[in-house]
Amino acid sequence: MPALLLLSVFLIAACGLIYELLAGTLASYLLGDSVLQFSTVIGSYLFAMGIGSYLSKFIGKGLVTRFVTVELLVGLIGGFSSTILFLAFAYTHGFRLLLYLVVLAIGTLVGLEIPLMMRILKGRFEFRELVAQVLTFDYLGALGASLLFPLWLVPQLGLVKGAVFFGLLNAGVALWTTFLFRDRIGGLVGLRVMCLLVMAALGVGMTYADQILDLADGNLYADEVIFARNTRYQRIVITKWKDDIRLFLNAHLQFSSRDEHRYHEALVHPGLAAVPGARRLLVLGGGDGLAVREMLKYSLVESITLVDLDAEMTHLFSTHALLKTLNQGSLSAPKVKVVNQDAFPWLETNNDVFDFVVIDFPDPTNFSLGKLYTTAFYRLMARHLSEGGLAVAQATSPLFARQSYWCVAETMKLAGLRVYPYHAYVPSFGEWGFILAGKREYEPPHSLPGGLKFLQAAMLPQLFQWPADMAPVPVEANRLNDQVLVRYYEREWREVAR
Amino acid sequence: MVGGGIAGLSAGWRLAKHGFRDFIIVEMEQRAGGNSRWGENEVSAYPWAAHYLPVPNRESALVRELCSELGLLEDGVWSERHLCHSPQERLFLHGRWQEGLEPEVGVPREQKQQFRRFEERIGEFAGSRQFTIPMDIGARASALDQVSMDEWLRREGFDSPYLNWYVNYGCRDDYGALARDTSAWAGIHYFASRQHDERGPLTWPEGNGWLANKLLERLERNVRASAMVTGVRREGRRLRVVTPETEFLAEAVIWAAPSYLLRYVIEDAPDTSGLIYSPWIVANLTLDRLPREINSERAWDNVLFDSAALGYVVATHQSLRSRIVRSVWTWYMALAEGVPAANRNLLLEKDWSYWKEFLLRDLERAHPDIRQCVSRIDIMRFGHAMARPVPRWIFSETRRRLCRWGTDIVLANSDLSGFSIFEEAQYRGVKAADRVLRRLGSA
Repeated sequence: MPALLLLSVFLIAACGLIYELLAGTLASYLLGDSVLQFSTVIGSYLFAMGIGSYLSKFIGKGLVTRFVTVELLVGLIGGFSSTILFLAFAYTHGFRLLLYLVVLAIGTLVGLEIPLMMRILKGRFEFRELVAQVLTFDYLGALGASLLFPLWLVPQLGLVKGAVFFGLLNAGVALWTTFLFRDRIGGLVGLRVMCLLVMAALGVGMTYADQILDLADGNLYADEVIFARNTRYQRIVITKWKDDIRLFLNAHLQFSSRDEHRYHEALVHPGLAAVPGARRLLVLGGGDGLAVREMLKYSLVESITLVDLDAEMTHLFSTHALLKTLNQGSLSAPKVKVVNQDAFPWLETNNDVFDFVVIDFPDPTNFSLGKLYTTAFYRLMARHLSEGGLAVAQATSPLFARQSYWCVAETMKLAGLRVYPYHAYVPSFGEWGFILAGKREYEPPHSLPGGLKFLQAAMLPQLFQWPADMAPVPVEANRLNDQVLVRYYEREWREVAR
Repeated sequence: MVGGGIAGLSAGWRLAKHGFRDFIIVEMEQRAGGNSRWGENEVSAYPWAAHYLPVPNRESALVRELCSELGLLEDGVWSERHLCHSPQERLFLHGRWQEGLEPEVGVPREQKQQFRRFEERIGEFAGSRQFTIPMDIGARASALDQVSMDEWLRREGFDSPYLNWYVNYGCRDDYGALARDTSAWAGIHYFASRQHDERGPLTWPEGNGWLANKLLERLERNVRASAMVTGVRREGRRLRVVTPETEFLAEAVIWAAPSYLLRYVIEDAPDTSGLIYSPWIVANLTLDRLPREINSERAWDNVLFDSAALGYVVATHQSLRSRIVRSVWTWYMALAEGVPAANRNLLLEKDWSYWKEFLLRDLERAHPDIRQCVSRIDIMRFGHAMARPVPRWIFSETRRRLCRWGTDIVLANSDLSGFSIFEEAQYRGVKAADRVLRRLGSA
């Protein structure tokens, strides 16, 4: 029996320190300046423990019942401390206030634990023995917690689940105490039901920890998050601030509604306007329907096929009111056919020929995406291009990732296409690069469809002019068995992001 | 032909090319393919043994001829689709993955210099033009064959543990043997014969099963599977080849099965003492989801440093899809440590659950969540997976005699070369076919 009681001391001491470390870590993560955060969190926590110890003298009768109640409260508040703080940071302006309130509450309750425990154990040990034993296990618990926290809790469970886990330990100690001292407490059933309720609440918290974190990552984005979802393939987040709507895929900005017209007009019109008879068009990627919106400005067009892997993405952009306004309902237009398949295998199994192809994939950040920028891919794409047709690819920034950009051009060239590289300025992205490719000679068109906000026919030739700092550099082509592009890209953007 | 592996199929390929169609390939197993056998499930096709073909050098004329025929080589350009996609290889070293199999992370500078010096030595050997594929066209009797690869490394002052691991890995990979059981000539051949001008190797979801299948498609009507040859008897000028269901009368027999088996079916079998075979174990793991990756992208060939096994290759790696959800991994291990015969006993003794646990523990080092991802594990035991080029075998009188042995029965297995790789099997099969064609022509 004494051994079991001392184990309780060990456990509650460990839990107590864990909550303190959690609060300090969370504050450092979210607010920065870890020295300040840890100092103030530890200080107020220890101070609150003092308050708890002081308050313990006002507890007279029903020591064990009080102890169980304190454990349950620590378990509940401590267990949900990370959750409360994450959500507070994401959704309120009172993070700091709440942080110290939570720290003070837990500290006070933890401060009550040891004095109560010592008084409960008073009759069983000699005083000298009691102080020595309880404090020894108290400090041992602290050592255990301080090792467990960085080595296991943070890497394996994370902050939210970790806190809940230790909350469950507190509640477990409470339940266990009701069994150890069943002869010294009244209202046993009620207490045990309380214990089980707290454990159930924490259990639910454990199950939904990931969703809670998802909710909280609203704070990653500067603007209000109006939509967030993990699809099978990616994380889609849409933010809105005044009239600026932004789409992020896996936290990478895809467009801002303030200047996406620059990107999409530049992507589509220099090529499409130069294929006067274009009837059958193809978009690879581009599930937001914005490129399709531009393509629908050509009345002769008979059909547009859009191949995008993510069905949830295309569904979102054909149903969400705000996004439909943005792409003018392009994905629901009768001429448009949406195919939710992987582009490379789709091209392999399909035999259709197109007059104009838009290749609008995410940047080649990894080898899986890099496949979509290889000679093998462009050769296959070229088989779907009519003799007089043209294809255009977005090809990252020729200013920030110069080798990457020219590598895409070189790759298309090696695939047997004639290439016509050009660039445009999109404020959200910076200087951006595109590559037109075809089996024939290309001349910038002399007229463009009406109603464009950015492009004018007269300025087209300038887009094909290259200032010295973006001019071609010698690079290798990107091939399936030697994806140099992914390496260029990683190196170049790492330098920019520094 | 007895044996429907690459040697037997290549002999058939050669005969058919010369317009000779009156032959049967008898295969013991339910499916032909030998070491290039493959399997298939609802996720992917996958290999059971050989899983790649190094990009053939110019001297490998026969392999290049086959590659051209199969559309892998067009106008001197190798088909990008069939070359192994990036990233090709990675190594799990010191708790994390690095690109490439040559240890880089945490290798002291002095040991890195040994790698460079090793490369230089290999470059010199490559320049000597003796280390060719097929080995027959370049091999000249050499003192290197008198010592083990391990001994050679010591003599040359290569004492780096990392380099020794690397060389041992190569020997285990191609010969199923440790460097100390491998002839230095063969050990050097592994490195010096592969000086490619294209980034390879060539690979397919089903490994070399792709090549075997292409050959099989051409020889479909000539193959009899599930037929084990139990005897070959002379009857006048003919040979009676006995299988449980059918007996064949033949003017000539190409013995494409392992050479050591010949003594069980004919009386005057040649001496094969000294021919040693390495036992192997291969597992195919079907994964319902892929283990988490941290700061690394899965390569085609994934090797764990200091593991008894050889790592795993990913069957879906050559897929053109940009997102892969399910996959099949092929995990390999040559039982190189210890005596082959004892290891064959171990293979017979231990059951599926033993090897399952063994391989999951091995993979768990790099993929802690592997157990949650696997839905099925198929395991195959190979008692005599490949010939082992032990010291003093390649240039032995016994091997030389085996290569020339027979008139109406000729040998074709890759073990004649001393080691079992696709190119050698093909070369031996074609050579045997040519000998038989000459004999039939003169008769």
